[in-house]
Amino acid sequence: MRIRLPLILCLLLLAPGAAQTQTTPVEGLRENPPAVHALTNARIVIEPGRTVENATLVIRNGVIESVGADVNAPPDARVWDLTGRTLYAGFIDAYSEVGMRTELPEADAEAGRGAVYWNPQVRSFVDAAAEFSPEDDDALRALRSQGFTVAMAVPQLGMFRGRTSALSLGGGTVADRVVRSGLAQSLTLSRDREVGGTYPTSSMGAIAFVRQTLHDTDWHARARAAYERDPRGARRPESNDALRALVPVREGRQPLLVETHNEEELLRVLRLRDELGLQLWLRGSGGEYRMLEQLRALDAPLILPVNFPDAPTVEPVEEALNRSLAELRHWHLAPENPGRLAAAGVEFAFTSHQLRDRGRFLDNVRHAVSRGLAPEQALAALTIVPARYLGVERTHGTLEPGKVASVVVVEGDLFRDDDAAVEAVWVDGERFEVRPPVGADPQGVWAVSALGAEPLEGELRLEGTRPRLTGTFIAPGGEVRLTRARVAGDPPRVEISFPGEVLGVEGTVRMSGRVTREEIQGWSELPDGRRVSWRATRVEGEPASDGAPRAERAAGSGGAAAGTALALSDIRPAMEFGRERLPERPDHVLVRNATVWTMGPQGVLENADLLVRRGQVIRVGQGLSAPSGAVVIDATGKHVTPGLVDPHIHSGVSGGVNDVGNAIVPEVRVGDVMTMNNIWTYRQLAGGLTSAHVLHGSANPIGGENVHVKMRWGAPAEELKLEGAPRTVKFALGENVKRRTGRYPDTRMGTEQVIRDHFQAAREYEAAWREWERGRQRGIPPRRDLRMEALVDILNGHVQIHAHAYRQDEMLMLMRLAEEFGLTVFAFHHALEGFKIGPELARHGAGAVVWSDWSSFKVEAYDATVYNARLLNDAGVLTSLHSDNSQIASRMNWEAGKLLRTGVSEDDALAMVTINAARLAGIGDRVGSLEPDKDADFVIWSGHPLSTMTRAEQTWVDGRRYFDIEEDRRLRQQVERERAQLIQLILNER
Amino acid sequence: MRILNRVRPVPALCAGLLAALMLATAPSLEAQIPAPPQARPVALVGGTIHTVSQGVIERGTLVFEEGRITAVGADVAVPAGAERVDVTGRHIYPGLIDAHSNMGLFEIGGIDQAIDLNELGPFNPNVRAHVAFHPASRHIGVARSSGVLVTVSAPTGGLISGLAAAMMMEGWNWEQMTVAPEVGLMVNWPSPFNQRLYTRGIRQLRDFFAAARAYQVAHAATPGGHATDARLAAMGPVLDRQVPVVVSANELRQIQDAMDWAADEGIRLVILGGRDAGFIADELAQRDVPVLLSSVLTSPNRAWEPYDAAYSLPARLHQAGVRFAIAGGSAAAYANRLPYEAGAAIAFGLPADEALRAVTLRPAQILGIDHRVGSLEPGRDATLMITTGNPLEYSTVVEQVYIAGRQVDMRDAHRQFFERYQEKLRQFSAEEEQVVSP
Repeated sequence: MRIRLPLILCLLLLAPGAAQTQTTPVEGLRENPPAVHALTNARIVIEPGRTVENATLVIRNGVIESVGADVNAPPDARVWDLTGRTLYAGFIDAYSEVGMRTELPEADAEAGRGAVYWNPQVRSFVDAAAEFSPEDDDALRALRSQGFTVAMAVPQLGMFRGRTSALSLGGGTVADRVVRSGLAQSLTLSRDREVGGTYPTSSMGAIAFVRQTLHDTDWHARARAAYERDPRGARRPESNDALRALVPVREGRQPLLVETHNEEELLRVLRLRDELGLQLWLRGSGGEYRMLEQLRALDAPLILPVNFPDAPTVEPVEEALNRSLAELRHWHLAPENPGRLAAAGVEFAFTSHQLRDRGRFLDNVRHAVSRGLAPEQALAALTIVPARYLGVERTHGTLEPGKVASVVVVEGDLFRDDDAAVEAVWVDGERFEVRPPVGADPQGVWAVSALGAEPLEGELRLEGTRPRLTGTFIAPGGEVRLTRARVAGDPPRVEISFPGEVLGVEGTVRMSGRVTREEIQGWSELPDGRRVSWRATRVEGEPASDGAPRAERAAGSGGAAAGTALALSDIRPAMEFGRERLPERPDHVLVRNATVWTMGPQGVLENADLLVRRGQVIRVGQGLSAPSGAVVIDATGKHVTPGLVDPHIHSGVSGGVNDVGNAIVPEVRVGDVMTMNNIWTYRQLAGGLTSAHVLHGSANPIGGENVHVKMRWGAPAEELKLEGAPRTVKFALGENVKRRTGRYPDTRMGTEQVIRDHFQAAREYEAAWREWERGRQRGIPPRRDLRMEALVDILNGHVQIHAHAYRQDEMLMLMRLAEEFGLTVFAFHHALEGFKIGPELARHGAGAVVWSDWSSFKVEAYDATVYNARLLNDAGVLTSLHSDNSQIASRMNWEAGKLLRTGVSEDDALAMVTINAARLAGIGDRVGSLEPDKDADFVIWSGHPLSTMTRAEQTWVDGRRYFDIEEDRRLRQQVERERAQLIQLILNER
Repeated sequence: MRILNRVRPVPALCAGLLAALMLATAPSLEAQIPAPPQARPVALVGGTIHTVSQGVIERGTLVFEEGRITAVGADVAVPAGAERVDVTGRHIYPGLIDAHSNMGLFEIGGIDQAIDLNELGPFNPNVRAHVAFHPASRHIGVARSSGVLVTVSAPTGGLISGLAAAMMMEGWNWEQMTVAPEVGLMVNWPSPFNQRLYTRGIRQLRDFFAAARAYQVAHAATPGGHATDARLAAMGPVLDRQVPVVVSANELRQIQDAMDWAADEGIRLVILGGRDAGFIADELAQRDVPVLLSSVLTSPNRAWEPYDAAYSLPARLHQAGVRFAIAGGSAAAYANRLPYEAGAAIAFGLPADEALRAVTLRPAQILGIDHRVGSLEPGRDATLMITTGNPLEYSTVVEQVYIAGRQVDMRDAHRQFFERYQEKLRQFSAEEEQVVSP
């Protein structure tokens, strides 16, 4: 096999001008070392799946001239005999922080400099090539040691971090290194403390911020264009370089490269892409295998780290208790992430990013190969795939003639041999040695004799790994242990000492010798000062082919040898009590002979049946019959209630429940950041909870938009959301909103004003847009402001107001303010002093969502009474209980039980955790009672639902049995079994 | 099929008079007025008496005089001159004991001035909870209404926090209210999650105990010749095993190490918290180390543990033969939840009588106050409640309590709010009617 460039191309390459690609003038003499190399006798992997044995690769002026088995070294070439070596195309690190700044000590001094965005987190104008510092020598060397010859440098500061560049990892100036610039705009979804600013502070805030920034990009471009067309009479709009730099992203010409930190964030980013119409690249997290179903159709470039976790600590035995099943599973399964993705047809490129030690990169890739990734796929992820992503596939990615001479020289097969190591890399035709040859191994048995007449005769036995050796010297006078023996340096030099008695001299004999494969040339000093030249020849102990001690280069624990794979069930979420599939939804379910609390017009029915069809309640009544094939449950002696509803929890929100940076943040949405990896969902099911209203925190007078969920344990986050639920927003009053130093408001007075002013601003915003749309649309267009849009929606009654409040005065304030704007406060949450203004609440039409008995944890909570719910109920206020606490949400029936002592009837008490709670979450039409056509969310209790002696036995959501006390027992055993198996595996692999 | 016994609150029982008086004269929220000492014998007749120590007596009679129970039984004669109270259809239980609380030392969260829990520095064995007990705390009355009649109030700071005191929930001042001033020395076992700090913390404890021991010896050897060290001097009763050390320890390693340490020091140990106690129930039982469980209505310690890990812990300890009490979460404002903590344990496997014992006699025994409280026997304090049913059940109403024979005013702060704003409701609905029909 022989591959040659077309002749004409060869001639071009040979032309003298071809080497002249730099502008730097030469100081002193020119340096022109031979630029023609022939790498011969090598196994050459031209591209994944195409290998030539015993072949030659010719490099001329930094470019591959020819490659093949029948290629001869040109006469002007320097010849490198690479017998036993494998050549691969230079690897591409598709995501690297090499040469990038991670700290910005001058951030304060830079504040306000330049025509930039109001928020310092937008550094979109930064260019990786401009940012790159070639001083980062250790990192460059480390990357080359793993075979990398090109890296895509990604700026590291801020959220919008700037444009990435593909840079060569060889030598030269930055200008020499740039392969391609402006590849993608980099984004991460968390605020970088290094660059400052106060917003956003949460993951949901970050998503809202990205939306607004991209809308601002549109507006800025339109406003500037309008102004430039006709500036007369218009106020000059800002000229913003940060937004200007985002135009290619907004127009879909430049990809947005988003760094994701878990697979759920990745799915969030995909949704954002669909919403905003972006061209997307993704840096993965390593957990993608947990979301394989959702990623099967992934259509965005994926850059995958191989940051496999270290084995969790499981000793002493007590310490192992603190290892979660999720952690143990991830330790075991993370190395299968690349293989599983590849098997699912998902393409990806590798990155060394996120590795604590870059030197472990290839070990981990090999580990991935040992756990299911085909070697060709691994190689593709290092070469042709990233080359294509970066748009450098015409010059990089394979060892075909005409491509850049970037070559990885490996001793052995990189993906199959545990101890294969990169020996050298060629970058743009320049050779970088990675691992200097270690020289001959002195282990073995040697016959020693002096060159002169001195008494230095005997047999030297050496063993051990360098640099430390042990051994003996056997002379005519006997055998003696070496008191010192070590080997160091290249060429290797052994140092030996032993007591001289065996040679008939008193004192220590010191010897030193230069080791080659078959011989040691030595010199020594005897105790009496005589100096002796000696020589040793090998008697036995043939060294490895090149003498390199194997132990030195054996892979660490991440090596391919590690890992007898354990067949773990594939569960969602990938943690304790996860399940392999959602519970089935039978066509018909009939629960028989129970005491059924319908919480609807039918009231409580004894010896009654509940009939469910395809997830919905059909009937409650006595003596119902079910079609054949129905799931029939005998609930004699048991009680059945609707699934419990909690109108106020914060469970399952990732990345913070408050965005505290700004006082008014209704543009933020809790629904953007829900997680399925929330053990509380299961625990809450176990306590009969089936729906909840998940709220933004209470740090803002106007906080973010809330979300409704069902406890569909095992469903992806997006599917937890209750379809068709109304939009609701969180307001907050009192201590929590005023305690943030340096942020308006500091008082309840200011709280009223800041809400009022924003309501007013929103009215004016709406009017401005109406005018623009009605008018001729000349001049500067209004800016689209998502915060104002959300406020307009609130003012127009499209979003329910749910206000956190404690004191009566602040509740009265908000009601009166709302009334001025023609609004009704849907519900006050906590409403700790609600009992003091029951009539006023009732007249306004606000509901109250309260605790059973919380008290005295702060000043505004001191006037508490367990009679709060009772008094509100008596005043005609629609009242329910809430938990505001994940644990309490898992036993809301007991919270309702507490009301009995205050004189609330059983029906009213249970209503406060079912139908009233559902109504106060705005979802009373779907859940909260067992009535025809409502969702089949119900609980089978062991006894009276308000008794302390009772527990939930089954919890059904949408007509599926999500919790079953019998299944729970099996799951416990499964959790314990898997933990035990994984811990055994950790012990075995040490 | 309603298992709940809905009994209308009885207007009877002399509280009525006092309440009416207060309603007439006290428009603002007031601390309840402590009752005078018992003036004449009282006989509660006809109720079901749950003695805890001696079983249940149906239609029994319980007599108390001068604050002490004098007779309990099915056929006890009512003494001449005694006030006879008919409690037919009602239940009599001993007062519940909250075995770990910040009652009296905590009023409002977030306000340093209203909290007296953490003294400065790591070693405060000499500070005593009872002398700082706020007798007019709002939380006292609220807890009483739940049947919690004795609280063990404890400081919480540093490594050695100070001395806990058993307090009765009625009286004009802490002196009257103290059942026993020094029932346990509170120790916070270091956190095992930082090995260096953990080792250092344990070493500090050992050093302090060694110094205390040396101090006792020096004092005994040279009476008056050794300057006083208040901290070390306070350790005498602990080293002499008169006062147990109550070690807060939830993690398995903490419990293990605290047991070894206590054995080494030769002191009496009580484990407080005990979230991981189920893992070494056998060792706790075998070494007879009692446990005050901090909360039943709480989360599993770890994601992989079953959802009911905390709920079922009392049942598991009971099965293993561990001596334990259920103490609740220690917050003064939530002491009223103590019965529900014990009740949850019943739902998850603890026999109902054991659950009752875990909040009455068990804590009394563990803290050495069982000669006063925790059961209904002659000679014990007349600290008891009259209820409509099992006090651990949500639907049960505690109608009247007696503390050391004093008949307690049941109008706690919550009840006073209720009455006050019921009045507002009345006024506003009257107003509305007027508006509607002028």
